[in-house]
Amino acid sequence: MKIRLEICCGTTCYMLGANKLLHLEDQFPPEWRGQIDVSAVPCNDVCNEKESLRNAPFVKINGEWIGNATPERVMELLAAKMQEE
Amino acid sequence: MNVPLNTLPFLEIECRQLTKTGQSACGDDFQWAKLENENRHIAVLSDGLGSGIKANLLANMTTTMALRFMRSNMDILQSAETIMDSLPVCEVRKISYATFSIVDIHDGGRTRIIEMGNPSYLHLRGTEEVPAEKHTQLVSQRWPDREMDVWETTLRLGDRLVVCSDGVTQSGLGQRRYKFGWRRQGCLQFVREKLAKFPEMSARELSDTVAMEALCISPDRQCHDDISCLVIYYRKPRTLRLLTGPPFHKEDDARFAALAASGADQVIVCGGTTANILNRELNTTVEINMRGIRGCDALPPPGTMKGVGLATEGILTLTRVTSDLDSGDWEKSPRAAREIIEKLLSSDCIEFIVGTKVNEAHQDPDLPVDLEIRRNIVKRLCGILENKYRKNGSITYI
Repeated sequence: MKIRLEICCGTTCYMLGANKLLHLEDQFPPEWRGQIDVSAVPCNDVCNEKESLRNAPFVKINGEWIGNATPERVMELLAAKMQEE
Repeated sequence: MNVPLNTLPFLEIECRQLTKTGQSACGDDFQWAKLENENRHIAVLSDGLGSGIKANLLANMTTTMALRFMRSNMDILQSAETIMDSLPVCEVRKISYATFSIVDIHDGGRTRIIEMGNPSYLHLRGTEEVPAEKHTQLVSQRWPDREMDVWETTLRLGDRLVVCSDGVTQSGLGQRRYKFGWRRQGCLQFVREKLAKFPEMSARELSDTVAMEALCISPDRQCHDDISCLVIYYRKPRTLRLLTGPPFHKEDDARFAALAASGADQVIVCGGTTANILNRELNTTVEINMRGIRGCDALPPPGTMKGVGLATEGILTLTRVTSDLDSGDWEKSPRAAREIIEKLLSSDCIEFIVGTKVNEAHQDPDLPVDLEIRRNIVKRLCGILENKYRKNGSITYI
């Protein structure tokens, strides 16, 4: 099954690094191609929840929100998911 | 709740100008004023003697004075004499010279066109030329060689007026096909053909099409004179509603969403939370197009909300739209800003529906950019659209 990576493109996430995540697909190793579905989504207000105010940018991997989503962190998480699959 | 936008006839006024090749300033000038109390519009196009900065100054002085005199209902002949007396005398030609066309449109479409030295205007109803109801010629005793034509006519819904500088009518001069230039007749024929093919063509498109055609038929495709084409289209307004920000009270969400569902020709949604409210209330979704994001990192990519219209991020995008419209330069703007600008400029009546709830995350002092309060940006944007782009704007807070 394909892994779904959704990148939040709300104001806060975008300013705090989501713009770099939009090009993350370029860094995928060849064997990942076609296995991960990358899309951009509008703000889902996750950043406004009390605990997570400072954790932007956010991405959603297979339905689960993840904060502090730096390109490196997202790549690691995707690698782990690929292994699980 | 369904609030229809203003549907009274609207005057779309657009002027496309091309500067003579090699010059840094256009020697033609266009100015416009809307007199709210009288429901009256005045547009002035002037062509200054020569080209470049000097011509620009002459033309600018002429349009400024003409506009001021017309606003205060000063006598036309006296106005023209004052303009001629005030213009500096050209050292080379020993004359003070600037031609002008003034279009003065009153409530109900009653129109007066005053011309001195400019090619005569075109009045089109569909593709047919409408003759003036009255024509008077005025000659100043002090400036006997400067005749002035005063035309009176009435605009009906759907009518267009086209006013050009001689850079348009004399374009093509020297080409085998245009021995005497494009002339008024050639321009009229071109406009009629365009309108037969595209009956809904906006003033913006028509002024641009005429100016570009004048350039295309010129030798070497270069502007041998400054080119200006002013188009006034008395039309049924195209309406646009822009929704941004969540309502202050959650109870208003349904009422807010209903405004996106109907009542305007086009709808734009700016803001993620705003989009989420509409998604929930209208049972729709936003799809963001990932294509074309390369090199456009300054703003999040725009999306489409099914059944509603364009959906973009909020504050950053609106701030960029405002500054780009203010500077008049958006050629290299990110896609989201450009798409909004295109939609705004191809509309006549623009209603902003502004939710006033403050997004707490935007107040985080760690954010790398200062985010302005939404209502301030919208106020500034609305003002620019009204004063610089001649739109009818309104703001409703919710």
